[in-house]
Parts: sequence; structure tokens; C-alpha cells
Amino acid sequence: MSVDYLAAAGPPPAAPPAGLPRLIPACAPADAGADHRSDKQSLAGHLARLGPLRYPARPGGLIAEAEAAGLTGRGGAAFPVHRKLAAVAGQARERRRAVVVANGAEGEPASGKDAALLWGAPHLVLDGLQLAAQATGATEAFLYARRGEELSRRLLGALRQRAAAGLDRVEVEFVQAPDAFLAGEETALASWINGGPARPAFKQPPVYERGVAGLPTLVQNVETLAQLALIARFGAGWFRALGTAAEPGTMLATIHRADGGSYVTEASLGTPLTALLPAELAGPGAPADTVRAVLVGGYHGAWLAPEQAAGLSLSNASLRPAGAFAGAGVLAALPAGRCGLAETARVGRYLALESAGQCGPCFNGLPHIAGALGELAGPRPRRQALADVQRWAGLVTGRGACHHPDGFVRFVRSALTVFRAELDAHARGRCTATDHTPFLPVPAGPPAREPR
Amino acid sequence: MNGITSSTALWYASRATGVVALLLLTAVMVLGILVNRQGRLPGLPRFGATSLHRSVSLLAAVFVAVHVATAIADPFVSIGIVASVVPFVSHYEAFWLGLGAVSLDLMAALIVTSLLRGRIGRRTWRVVHWLAYLTWPVAFAHSIGSATDMQRGGLLYLGIGCAAAVAAALAWRVTAARRAVPPGQRAARVLAAATASRQLDREQRARAGAR
Repeated sequence: MSVDYLAAAGPPPAAPPAGLPRLIPACAPADAGADHRSDKQSLAGHLARLGPLRYPARPGGLIAEAEAAGLTGRGGAAFPVHRKLAAVAGQARERRRAVVVANGAEGEPASGKDAALLWGAPHLVLDGLQLAAQATGATEAFLYARRGEELSRRLLGALRQRAAAGLDRVEVEFVQAPDAFLAGEETALASWINGGPARPAFKQPPVYERGVAGLPTLVQNVETLAQLALIARFGAGWFRALGTAAEPGTMLATIHRADGGSYVTEASLGTPLTALLPAELAGPGAPADTVRAVLVGGYHGAWLAPEQAAGLSLSNASLRPAGAFAGAGVLAALPAGRCGLAETARVGRYLALESAGQCGPCFNGLPHIAGALGELAGPRPRRQALADVQRWAGLVTGRGACHHPDGFVRFVRSALTVFRAELDAHARGRCTATDHTPFLPVPAGPPAREPR
Repeated sequence: MNGITSSTALWYASRATGVVALLLLTAVMVLGILVNRQGRLPGLPRFGATSLHRSVSLLAAVFVAVHVATAIADPFVSIGIVASVVPFVSHYEAFWLGLGAVSLDLMAALIVTSLLRGRIGRRTWRVVHWLAYLTWPVAFAHSIGSATDMQRGGLLYLGIGCAAAVAAALAWRVTAARRAVPPGQRAARVLAAATASRQLDREQRARAGAR
């Protein structure tokens, strides 16, 4: 390539995207398998769409810009990005070395947004990874992505394109994440890259002090890095043009429609849920005849009654009071005619088996709760089963090395509230569902693995 | 020996606290091994073994402190403060007292790292805590070697009993480690057991209802 992408006097910056989408360029489906050199996902297409990658003059510049933008982590926890960047930068100054990791593990089976982003805009994520490396003073970078042959080929191809163009200042190593719900938890991630099992560890010392190779490590979700790459190009003011004042910007969301369709979309923070699930929450007969419940925030998230969901929006300010949170943007509308208890029991069983098996309250408590949920999902459960779930739920909360037990309990407790009528029906030996096929995605195959 | 006089009181105190310290350190060792393999004591919840291990080790530390202090203060043999922490510099029984100094230093390392576990990180703490397996045998050798009255009679049997207890705990530890379920299979085992017991309960209830 002849274009000098790094030169300040290079090609002029492209016009910033005015509305949506910002992250993943819209492309005709025909493009998908077409010539990579001409499509928008290639390096040339990416740079033509968004302009050259410009590094801030001083390394800390991006940290201030991220703070001004109010960017928070898009992996689910919504932690302020500038604080993580500053923490790793501070450690890196002392240790003279640091690591940045783009986290695209996406262990959540109901989420597809990280894979969609890595597929649709790999170079935006990799731009963000380089910018984060510069901002923190990192000397090593990793791209940690969900297992998959096609995606891996694509990402390795993207890394080769950048190497050929001399675009990257820090070399990026590609690592495939194991298929585990907790694979993206940052201590599990650090352990896996270090050659150990992908199991969460105790948080002392934190990953930003000692992570990959014992070095200060910044772990950011791939979407967070993509957002960072846009902020570096177009500024905090542009970023704040969408979203709310408290939660600015946009986020990717994985929508599971009641008709069985699912897709990834980008939405401004604060978008009403009725706009994201229009047919389910705002259409004719909605919501009573169309949906039984809405799952918000994924399998560590919460079920909401449809009437309640219809009044809420995609932001933590709106969802938190309802006991839910935006998380990594999973939104699933369970169709009317399905059994919420059966769905909860199925997902609960999956989550219990995804316990890393380290903390007693988790690997003993979650399977026992899942067993009781299985009984509640069947006909005429004993009254004891409900009492068991409630009692054990209280016993496992806050007692793991990671938040797996807490997220599991949030999901289960919300089900007991939202599906109260169904619980009564099951107690009388009836199920109001007419369709018993599974709805929420749960990976098949042997769940308990010991990959290393 | 003609009973305790003011000149022999410190000597006896040092001997007595030394024996009690050995008993307590043996208990600490056995409890520590139990905690390591998530074992249980009858009548105690699992976390009970952990807090018992911690409490007994601090109690043992107090007895060791009194044992060392009285040995230094005792005028019968002159053991300097330096010789109590620096191994093999004592004029009296240099080797056997040296072992005592070594075990004292190791114990100090174990206690300090345990108190600072939150700051130094689990991994460092764990590495240092492996020294416990060195500390106990060194302390035991010091007991047998420097105390002539431990080499015969009732105290000898006490010493043998302590060694047998630690050996039994170690043997249990090794077999328990071999029986341990790998982390990746733990949840699946518990789920299978929980589901099976629920199924059994329901069947029993159904039979009772049919009758």
C-alpha cells in the first residue's frame, strides 16, 4: 500500500457518521462473501469510510477524551473506560511494560454482538486496540475472540492487512477463547492467555496490576475499543450526540424476536424498548397477547413483565430500578404460549454446569438451585422446591470469586417474580404454555469441560 | 530435681510451654491439611475448620513466644536473644537450639504472610505457606533433640503420637487429592446427584399417594 495512514498530513478525515449505525457499516448481504479488497470490512474500505487512524499527540490525550465522552465498558459491567485506561497507564509507567487485550470471547450464548462487530468491522476494533495500547503505554496486544474457523480466518486476514500497511505500532497476537460462559471474565481470560485454564481467579492483585504474563493488563470488550476508535477520530462531542447525558453514545444489542428471529442492531442508549421490540411491545394486541416476558441483559440479567418492559428504555438509569441492567445488550422477547419456568430451568441448568467448580457456594449451590428449578418447571412440584430455590439463592449471593453466582441468582429470582402465575398453574398440575420447543439459545454438547 | 524453686521456675515454664506448643502446632498442621483438601470436622461446618486452624495457630504462636521468652530469661543456660532467632550461634546445644530458631523464623514468616494475605496476593501467600511442611518437622526435631526428657517415658509417647497424627493427616491428604473431582466436573456431579435425589423423592411421594 502506498498511502501513509499514519501521517498527520495524510488523507483528510472522513465525515463522521451522522446517525446510526456508527460501528458496523451497513452492507448489502451480497457483499458478505464477495471480494474482500473492495468491501467495507477490508482495511481500504474501513479507511475510506472513517478516514485514517490518528494517534493523539500525547499518550494521555485519549484518556481525557474518553472521560469527556463518558464512554463505559460495553462488555456488560459499564465501568468507566478512562479509569481503567488511567489505572493501567499508571502501572505501565512503573513497570515499563503492559498488555492490552481486546475481549471478544462473548461466552453469553444469547449474545452475538461481539462476533457481529468483529465480522463486520474488524479494523475498527483493531484501531481501538492500538489506541488503547498507545494510551496505556502497552507493549503487547492480544485479540481474544470466540472460537470459529471463519471468524478466525477473517481476523487473521485483517491483522495481515494491517501488518502489510505498517499500520500497527504494537504487534497483535490472536488467541481463540474457549467455549465457556465465563471465558470472557477478565481473570479467566488472563489465565487462559497465560496457558492456564479459563477459570476466574481471586481479584487480588487486580488484572490491571498483574494480568497477562504478570504485567499490568487492560482488558476491554471489543465494542468498547471500537467506540474508542470512533471517539479518537470524531471526538467526545460527536460521541455524545446520541444517547443520554448520563449514559452517552450507542451500544450494540442482540435482539431475539418473539417470532424466533434474532439479529444484532446498534441503538442509542435510552432507546425505548418498544422501539427495539416494536411488534412485541407496541404492536396490535401487545404486549399481553404477543409476549410472556422480556429477558434483559442476558443470562446474568433479569426477566421483566411485558407491561413493565414497555415503559422502560435501554439504559441502566431506566432498567436498574426494575432490577435489570443493560449489560451486553441482550434483549429476548419470550413469546406468549411458551413456558417461562421451563426456559428459566433450561438456562439455569446450563449456567450451573458452567460453574468453574472453584467456589463451594457456586459449584454446590447453583446445581441444587437448578435441580429445584427443574422440579418447578414440571407438573405438581412440591411446595418445598420453591422454598429451596429462595433459601439457596440467598446463600450463594456474593460468595464467589467472580459474579457468576450473583448473576445466576438475579436471573432466577426475576423468573420467580415474573412467572408467579405460571408457578401457581404448575402447582395445580397445569402448564399454560402451548408450545414446548426451547426458545432461548443454550449450547448443545457436554457442558462440563476442563479445556486444559 | 527437687521440685520447683524460684531458680527452676523459668526452666519448667519453658519446658511446659514447649510441650504445649508442640501439641498445638501438631493440631495446626492437621487442621491446615484438612482445610487444604476442604475436609470437614464432625460437628463443624466447612468454614469452621478454617477459622479453627487460624485460631489454634495464633494460640500456638503465643505459647511459642512464652517458650522462647522463658528460655532466654532462664539463668540456668544462657541463650541470647540473638541465638533465639539466628540459627546455630548458641553456645548451648548449638544444633538443636538452631533448629528451634529456624522453626521460629519460619513460623514468623507464615504468620506475617497470612496476616498480609490481602496485600501480597494469594499466590505469594501460597508459596510461603508451603513452608509449613518444613516448619513442623524442624520444630519437632528441636523438641526431641533439645529436651532430654522427651527422649523417654510419657513425653516420648506424646512425641510419637504427634508425629503419627501428622503422618496420618499427610496420608489422608495424598489420597484425598487423588480422589478429588476436577473443577470442570464438580457442578455436573452435584447436579446429577441433586436431580436424582429429587426424582427419588417424587417417586416415593407418588407411591405413597397411590396407596
